[in-house]
Amino acid sequence: VSDPSPHDLEALLRQFQASDARELHVRTATLELFLSKDPAAPAPWGGGGGAASPTSTAAPPSLSSGAERQSEMAAPAAAAETFPEHWTILRAPYLGTFYRAPKPGEPNFVEIGEPVAAGRDLCLVEVMKLFTAVCAESAGTIRAILADDGQMVEEGQPLFAIEPAGA
Amino acid sequence: MALRRVFVANRGEIALRIVHAAQKLGIETVVGVSDADRGSAAAQLADRSVVLGPGPAAKSYLDPELVVHAARETGCDGLHPGYGFLSEREILPRLCAANGIAFVGPDADTIVALGDKLQARAMARAAGVPLVPGSDQIASAANAAKVAEEIAYPVLLKASAGGGGRGMVIAHSRAEVEAGFAKASAEAESAFGDGTLFMERFVPRARHVEVQLMGDGTGKVLHFGERDCSVQRRYQKLVEEAPSAAMPAHLCAQLHEAAVALASSVKYRGAATAEFLFDVEREEIYFIEVNARIQVEHPVSEQVTGADLVGWQLRIAGGETLDIEQADIAVSGHAIECRINAEDWQRGFVPTPGTITRWSAPDGDGIRLDTHMAEGSAIPPYYDSMVGKLIVTGADRADAIGRLTAALDAFEVEGVATTIGLHRAIVAHPDFRANTIHTRWLEQVLLPALES
Repeated sequence: VSDPSPHDLEALLRQFQASDARELHVRTATLELFLSKDPAAPAPWGGGGGAASPTSTAAPPSLSSGAERQSEMAAPAAAAETFPEHWTILRAPYLGTFYRAPKPGEPNFVEIGEPVAAGRDLCLVEVMKLFTAVCAESAGTIRAILADDGQMVEEGQPLFAIEPAGA
Repeated sequence: MALRRVFVANRGEIALRIVHAAQKLGIETVVGVSDADRGSAAAQLADRSVVLGPGPAAKSYLDPELVVHAARETGCDGLHPGYGFLSEREILPRLCAANGIAFVGPDADTIVALGDKLQARAMARAAGVPLVPGSDQIASAANAAKVAEEIAYPVLLKASAGGGGRGMVIAHSRAEVEAGFAKASAEAESAFGDGTLFMERFVPRARHVEVQLMGDGTGKVLHFGERDCSVQRRYQKLVEEAPSAAMPAHLCAQLHEAAVALASSVKYRGAATAEFLFDVEREEIYFIEVNARIQVEHPVSEQVTGADLVGWQLRIAGGETLDIEQADIAVSGHAIECRINAEDWQRGFVPTPGTITRWSAPDGDGIRLDTHMAEGSAIPPYYDSMVGKLIVTGADRADAIGRLTAALDAFEVEGVATTIGLHRAIVAHPDFRANTIHTRWLEQVLLPALES
């Protein structure tokens, strides 16, 4: 079996998610991949300490676009410095109050794990009842939301960690 | 109710000055900074600092909604605007009032009334304050020529909404006044969005004198003596002193009385400065305007009266009334302040933003330095170039000049050009020592002499 391209792997992930299968284990000459719908499932190559995120040790970073579970576990207030260097940190353009939804009671603009296109509105920053949307600068997947809904954010404060598409 | 937590809506040395004054009164401080001022001295000393926006002032310090939002969200019950920036913009007290925050300054209507020079002139006239012979609104160039004949040349055309010398033209003849009308009107329109002009007699040899006022909003207004700020370049003050050593005592008394009457007539609340021209030849004083804020040069008044003027501002904003009387305020000694700017004064006063690599400041008896700078401090390119104010106090003017000379000689700054050298030249000049200078002395006498 020749090495799968990232494209192949993404297709594989989608099929796995849509299927009834609970686990999938693939091994090639250079890559070993283990997917499970049970977050507590141990990887077939043994403990190794990475038990809290079963998919993270198996899948190279470019593959995690399909693996929402892993990011959902990330603490919302995690420091920006802990993210991989190629991820984008979207910051507050100025001081204001951070809102995740267009209006109270409406669904949030975006959730963790969601792929977003460039220009997509991600949140509102409010200054004296003037609500301004902050949008994604480029396409990617939301990996972390770093500010709390309804809280004041300062200029330059990290709001979202975004993994660029096709990296 | 006394203020509990004050928001400092300014930067530089005045932000630091406000934090010091608040701390002395046990008031917590939150400083709103721009991205360029994250590490500023005021931000470090305050209980908290919040980053408002990017470096350019329009997107941080000059955005009233942003500033008041930050004050409210950080739980402040007071807001001090400092000087410059939003300090005399009526929207700031209005927004503060709408958000339950006490504005450290007068109410919006007072700011509006005093900010319009024609309205301020009318108020001054009503309060019996002497005005420079002049006109109300000038309607046309022909009208301007007619008014100029009545006042007698030379005359000064001024923008009603103006300040800082913009929209201002001196005319010595009918031809000049007609040409000047169009020029000043266009300049005022573009600078202030209002081309309305009025005219005053031009006083060739004038000194700038002003009175420090404090009102508590009940109609009670006290003065903290006068200042003389006649060393100016392009209407910007460089050296200020208190008291005035050039004015006869009877004129000084008239000056104080007029200033208090004017502020009292509007039940002024907070700190204000009433500015006057002192016509040296005619021995007369004329009202110019009232500035509804604490001024850069307030320390010289503090030095000779012992008052903490910024402290008084905070107390009055917290609802206190003036519990002292005029007789309790005595002026003793003489104080002189030099505004030190990061400018290359030998190359057209071009600002020199950058990093200070060496900062060796004078210290000792009678020396006060109000600054936010130290070795390693950055001067961002977005704001005014003032890096500090050197204030020296002596027993009398000669004593103060002696100490100032030594202090300026000892003051060494490297990394950026500063105006310290210019101040040395001013203070050493016989005209300054003899106190025969006037508002155009620096530009007409000293600078040309230094160039040749």
